[in-house]
Amino acid sequence: MYNAPQPKLEDLPSNRQLGRMSVVAAIGAAAIGVMVYLPAEYGIDPTGIGSVLGLTEMGEIKQQLSKEAAEDEKLHGSQDSSSLVDGVLGLFVSTAQAQDAWKDVVTFTLEPGAYTEIKATMEKGATLTYAWMADGGRINFDLHAHAGGENVTYEKGRGETSGAGSFETPFAGDHGWFWRNRDTSAVTVTLQLRGDYSGLVRSD
Amino acid sequence: MKPTSIHGQSRLTHALVFALSLSILFYAAGVQTAAAHDVTPGDAGYIQEIWGVHIIPFIYLGAKHMVTGYDHILFLLGVVFFLYRMKDVAIYVSLFALGHSVTMLFGVWYGWGINAYIIDAIIGLSVVYKALDNLGFFQRVLGFQPNTKAATLIFGLFHGTGLASKILEYKISPDGLLANLLAFNVGVEIGQLLALFVILIVMGYWRKSPNFMRQATIANIIMVFLGVLLTYQQIAGYIASTS
Repeated sequence: MYNAPQPKLEDLPSNRQLGRMSVVAAIGAAAIGVMVYLPAEYGIDPTGIGSVLGLTEMGEIKQQLSKEAAEDEKLHGSQDSSSLVDGVLGLFVSTAQAQDAWKDVVTFTLEPGAYTEIKATMEKGATLTYAWMADGGRINFDLHAHAGGENVTYEKGRGETSGAGSFETPFAGDHGWFWRNRDTSAVTVTLQLRGDYSGLVRSD
Repeated sequence: MKPTSIHGQSRLTHALVFALSLSILFYAAGVQTAAAHDVTPGDAGYIQEIWGVHIIPFIYLGAKHMVTGYDHILFLLGVVFFLYRMKDVAIYVSLFALGHSVTMLFGVWYGWGINAYIIDAIIGLSVVYKALDNLGFFQRVLGFQPNTKAATLIFGLFHGTGLASKILEYKISPDGLLANLLAFNVGVEIGQLLALFVILIVMGYWRKSPNFMRQATIANIIMVFLGVLLTYQQIAGYIASTS
């Protein structure tokens, strides 16, 4: 009833071969566990090989993200942002802007791995127009807001050097950018703003 | 001496209990999803924070994806189950690798937007197919043996499409995409070889046991069940996502 013959003994590896393979597998698993898995998942690198391979950085970023996700969930509860809202709002984010006078210009410098948050306090249905430039390296950002159980993501980017546009708020609260430098050198960002906001909040 | 039929029955019951608990485990693993809104944790979060060429991290991620991807591992197990000679193992595993590499690379490069649930349901069916094939099901029902090499290659193409849809969800930066993608592919093959090495050790000991052929039947029946379960989960997920 099988689609295969009974294995012939001469086709099978000997017990000695299998024993040797098991030892190799066990040593390999232990080595991968210590030199690859621990650095890549937890940023723990007892041998220093994970750093040479560039895996420790991945583990550190993952640990940082999971910590931030846990804190975020504690703060705001666990719900996903509506992708429909994101999609509709994406239409409001346009790029072409005239050079009218800016209301505020914010300049800040982030060392590699550092982050900051800059947000504008706005009413519902208010509009904010912005333009920014990064100098010295490339920057990651998340333009978003969350207040009173609602949240929205306007735009996300990584490794960018400039951006411009505007957005309209679907709810009242602090709307703005989470900036993080994942580059290898310090990055200075100049952010220009105008629109219907009552103040700027910065938190590190 | 105990009657062998009772002995065999309790073995079968054990196997079924094992299969059932395994299924529940897999189901639980499938249910939990990342929930936070601003922060994407894990591998996807890391990938979404970086840009440029990162060869070794992407090799690692490819290998991790394969080693932890039980659908791929189950299919691989089914393929090598009755391959006793290393030459045959090499031929079939290469065919599988060729199949999934082609669709994985092209799928990501051209952004094939195939629904992940549908493709994963087909991958579940590939496990069912291979386990039934091992049981001699097609020989008996169809009266002939469908080409096993062709089946391995064709299902490899589907597995690669599934890999591509997962990678697209990662949103890899366009900056350095090709190099990172090739690195990921290399990682997938390394992960496959690592898994294969362990499979061959276990199968090596198992095949020497005088009960191997009898237990092989039970093992392949369990694989049919697991494949059906994987398929069912994906179809249920697809229905939930469309309604």
